[in-house]
Amino acid sequence: MHIMEGFLPWQWCLLWWIVALPCLIFGIYRLKKVLGTDPEALPLLGVTGGFIFILSSLKLPSVTGSCSHPTGTGLSAVSFGPWITAVVCAIVLLFQSLFLAHGGLSVLGANIVSMGIVGPFFGYAIYQALRNTSVNLYITVFLATALSDMFTYVTTSLELALAYPAEIGGIGSSFILFMGIFAVTQVPLAIVEGIVLALVFKYIITLKPDILIRLKIFSEEKINATRSDA
Amino acid sequence: MVHKYTLEILSVIAIIAFCVLFLYTSSTMSGAEFSGSDTVGSGLIAELSGIPEENFSPLIPQWVPPSGEIEACLFALQAAVGGIFVGGVFGYWIGQKKNA
Repeated sequence: MHIMEGFLPWQWCLLWWIVALPCLIFGIYRLKKVLGTDPEALPLLGVTGGFIFILSSLKLPSVTGSCSHPTGTGLSAVSFGPWITAVVCAIVLLFQSLFLAHGGLSVLGANIVSMGIVGPFFGYAIYQALRNTSVNLYITVFLATALSDMFTYVTTSLELALAYPAEIGGIGSSFILFMGIFAVTQVPLAIVEGIVLALVFKYIITLKPDILIRLKIFSEEKINATRSDA
Repeated sequence: MVHKYTLEILSVIAIIAFCVLFLYTSSTMSGAEFSGSDTVGSGLIAELSGIPEENFSPLIPQWVPPSGEIEACLFALQAAVGGIFVGGVFGYWIGQKKNA
């Protein structure tokens, strides 16, 4: 999902930086607040953030004959919401810009918006929609994770389509072209990522259910129901 | 949960299916290079803008890993840091649970 350094006109770089910065500042504010109210939130942040580090470094082959990487943002989006997730993603993306030439400092804003903000926001939205329904908790986590991943790549496609409209068909047709590269490649990765992170969530529930209840990530009844089933 | 290990089983199936899919794609698709989608995307940018790909240069000067080996090393480092976080916290939680 990285837009490579130099491949986005400076006006767009600036626009995405302007979108990303307030989100990051709000994310840091939220992060301080959460960590201040509950010291046990820090280990949970370590696990959910750790998976962003791990999964975003794995470049996996896919059906389109090219490789792409999962984002790993789903667990963090469910546990802490998109703003805090954006802060963790910014750290990972900064590392990749500085040392790996994946993305770059000028396009970092655009990459934070896709991987850190819009993707996790969609994951968070589906989690919010389902958390108080009878839908199984793991299916909720699966959907939130898979959608965070998918929408990251849809956003990258949109960012590029806006900057590079096709001569015939404009933004719409270049959006479809970019989706063909980014989003199609991502479908199998998003499904596998969703299942694996749902499994990780199961282990978090087994080991540390109280933190999920205290942070009101899922209701106590729902978590206890899952535990007695398992 | 219908079964105690439903999620474990599903994960294993998903990962195996993913590998099979890869073997199938790589053996049937001619010209599949498995380069990064970032690179393929940049190719499309060049096509749409009419500017040759080599004419794009970084807006902000950038350090590029001198070889694939060094890049792999740094990616492994990133994953290792994540692994330390995850493993460390799970260990901490297991310890807490034992003491409780």
